[in-house]
Amino acid sequence: MISRFLTLILLGCLPVFAAAQDATAILEQMMAKWNRVKDYAVQVNIKSEIPLIKSFPVKATIYFKQKDQFKMLSKGIAILPKQNFNELPKFLRDKNSYTALITGTEVIQTQKTTVLTVLPIDDSGDLVLLKLWIDPKTDLLLKSQSTTRSNGTISANYEYGSQIAFGLPDKMIFTVEVKKFKIPKGLATDINRTSSSDTGKPSPKNGKITITFADYQLNKGIKDEVFRN
Amino acid sequence: MSDKIIEVQQLAKRFGSFEAVKDVNFTVYKGDVFGFLGPNGAGKSTSIRCLLSLIKPDRGEIKIYGQTLAANRSHILARTGSIIEKPDFYKYLSAYQNLAIFSRISGATASAKEIYQMLDFVGLAGREKDKVAGFSHGMKQRLGIAQTLLHKPDLIILDEPTTGLDPQGIIDIRNLILRLRDEQGKTVVLSSHLLAEMELIANRMVIINKGKTVVEGEVSKLLSSDDLVVQLEIDKVEAAKNYLKNHLPQLEIIDSTATHLELAITKSMLPELNKLLVQQGFSIYAIESKRKLEDYFIKMLKADAVE
Amino acid sequence: MLWNSVYNEFIKITAKPRSYLGLLAITVLVGVILFALKVDGQSMIAFVTSSFEQTLSFQGTLLNGNLVAFIVLQMLIIHIPLLVALVTGDLVSGEAASGTIRMLLTKPISRTQLLLSKFIAGAVYTLCLIIWLGILAVIVGKVLFGTGDLMVLNSDGLVILQEQDVNWRYAGGFAVAFLALLTVSTLSICLSCFSNNSIGPIVVTMAIIILFTIIGTLDVKLFDAIRPYLFTTHMASWRSFFEEPLPLKEIIKSLIILLVHQVILIGLSLYHFNKKDITT
Repeated sequence: MISRFLTLILLGCLPVFAAAQDATAILEQMMAKWNRVKDYAVQVNIKSEIPLIKSFPVKATIYFKQKDQFKMLSKGIAILPKQNFNELPKFLRDKNSYTALITGTEVIQTQKTTVLTVLPIDDSGDLVLLKLWIDPKTDLLLKSQSTTRSNGTISANYEYGSQIAFGLPDKMIFTVEVKKFKIPKGLATDINRTSSSDTGKPSPKNGKITITFADYQLNKGIKDEVFRN
Repeated sequence: MSDKIIEVQQLAKRFGSFEAVKDVNFTVYKGDVFGFLGPNGAGKSTSIRCLLSLIKPDRGEIKIYGQTLAANRSHILARTGSIIEKPDFYKYLSAYQNLAIFSRISGATASAKEIYQMLDFVGLAGREKDKVAGFSHGMKQRLGIAQTLLHKPDLIILDEPTTGLDPQGIIDIRNLILRLRDEQGKTVVLSSHLLAEMELIANRMVIINKGKTVVEGEVSKLLSSDDLVVQLEIDKVEAAKNYLKNHLPQLEIIDSTATHLELAITKSMLPELNKLLVQQGFSIYAIESKRKLEDYFIKMLKADAVE
Repeated sequence: MLWNSVYNEFIKITAKPRSYLGLLAITVLVGVILFALKVDGQSMIAFVTSSFEQTLSFQGTLLNGNLVAFIVLQMLIIHIPLLVALVTGDLVSGEAASGTIRMLLTKPISRTQLLLSKFIAGAVYTLCLIIWLGILAVIVGKVLFGTGDLMVLNSDGLVILQEQDVNWRYAGGFAVAFLALLTVSTLSICLSCFSNNSIGPIVVTMAIIILFTIIGTLDVKLFDAIRPYLFTTHMASWRSFFEEPLPLKEIIKSLIILLVHQVILIGLSLYHFNKKDITT
């Protein structure tokens, strides 16, 4: 009786083990592309459309060097999601910190993708859930969605072009869940305002940040000094 | 007519319910040192301020250089220099800077050389760069005269120019006014409480009281009347008083001391008085005529009060 | 004659110690603000951005010379009217109190020209104050904190203006701030025409500004109709230059209201001054 019951449990768990193994493989294949990049420098254009923030597109230069050195140099003020694109590879590289599962398929940008759900092992961390949409044919990440305790849900869509072979996108579109921002009243003194401001209008719940990448300089060697403050 | 410098007719000014000037009339001729007399509150200052367009009269006409003041203010003031009550200057500026400031808006901007010469003329040489804050009243008065003369005016109006000055200062101002008239042919309108001073320098005058002209004319003619006030230095004053009361009742005994008698008397009676007293054995040590203008002034005011 | 009188007014203003009080006060105040921002500016910025930074991160130098200049301008523009009134409120009444007005008005210069020269001198002094504030806030601010995009906090959210887009906004902002202070200067000179003592017009100018500001701030329906026409309502119009898109209509409206105030105040001053009997 007991042995039949154990057999049933094992049989029930088999697909899960198989999915985990496949998910890891998909992730590894995707990351293998990234790992071919030892360093890169790229010009980016960041366009933010965030409720209650009016800003112009900002140009910046991003420097990356394995394993996790990252630097953005911008003369202007650039707005990025709190969990920005650097966090994801950093998190995925530490294979012991999460469990990945295939949880379905979905069509993204006309491509059929495998949906991976990544669960952090440390349940006290800020990241609660990570979902990845990976094209199994090209091993490219087409969409990601991370849910954190403090920042809500941030999703990103990836478009590829010149550096498709390295899994580096030409465009990333972040959608951030925007909580109701609070303006410190004492500091925002528009005493000349005689008409009502826009604060009364219902503001959209999501903000969009579009990052366009151009002029990638791959594996040309970047000195460590660049990453120092 | 052409030598009339100032013509004032039926001047009137009211401040609220107080009628400061009711009916002031006078004429100043070219080359006059014109005395402007009146007790405190008579309307002197208001009248003089009207002449300088500081106060706008309610009624009457002011013509200066033959032109109405209201319509030709700038042209008239460009040819007029004045000190009203006391010269007030920018205390934080030097004597030179003060003169330069007033000169720039006087119609004819004086050169630095002219300013230095003017300061020298009024006795402020060497103090050009000193701040006015450190000046005595006399020095300010001299600086006031300098700013009055700097743009070479034809008419000078001085309201109480000797107030607060020491005797030497008063003499200096008197001499200056006479020089301005005699050497430069300026016309001077002068108001002062110092009647003796006025008597010494004014050739014409007006007396105003309670906002009205009481009398106007040449000083020499106004003071040449037969009425005199004389002071007798005499022995036996009381006996002399009694004698005069009985024998010359037409005399007015104004005052007496142990040695002096002050009498109001006509000029023609003076030899008779002298003769009678000597005949009665009184010893007369001196007969002195008192300041005429002062008495005339008081007499006029008394007469005005009776009217 | 007018320009001679204007020149005279400049000499008087430059010779008066109190004229430098305003410049000194601005120097000290800006110095204190710059020091505070240098020491603890980041935490001040964090206070503003904390609500946004739960979701977003701001890359780049937020605390830069442009922001510093904006903070300085915002903090000081409400205090500078006092410094302006301190000098301009004395221009006519001070002369009446000291007796020099009597001396001036016995000169051939017309009363209109004399008063206009004082308005011009007052305007130039106000301009000097605002330029000095600009030099300290913008230039010294940029020297000490560097340049960069300007992040402005308005009641309807954050506006991030690009560095190359900021200088003309400052020029416009300072121009409007100047016009607002010019209204204060005109008001105090106007009051000065009605007084024979130096302090009265300065105190009354500040009292009017405080009163109008309170009326402008109180959420009382009765005041709604007059609020848009109070000059104090438009004293912060310089901020409009830091909004995106530029509220041109509001700026023009503010400029018109400020200019109308100035024309009325100058007209009233000229009328009264020309009729005034000088009895001091």
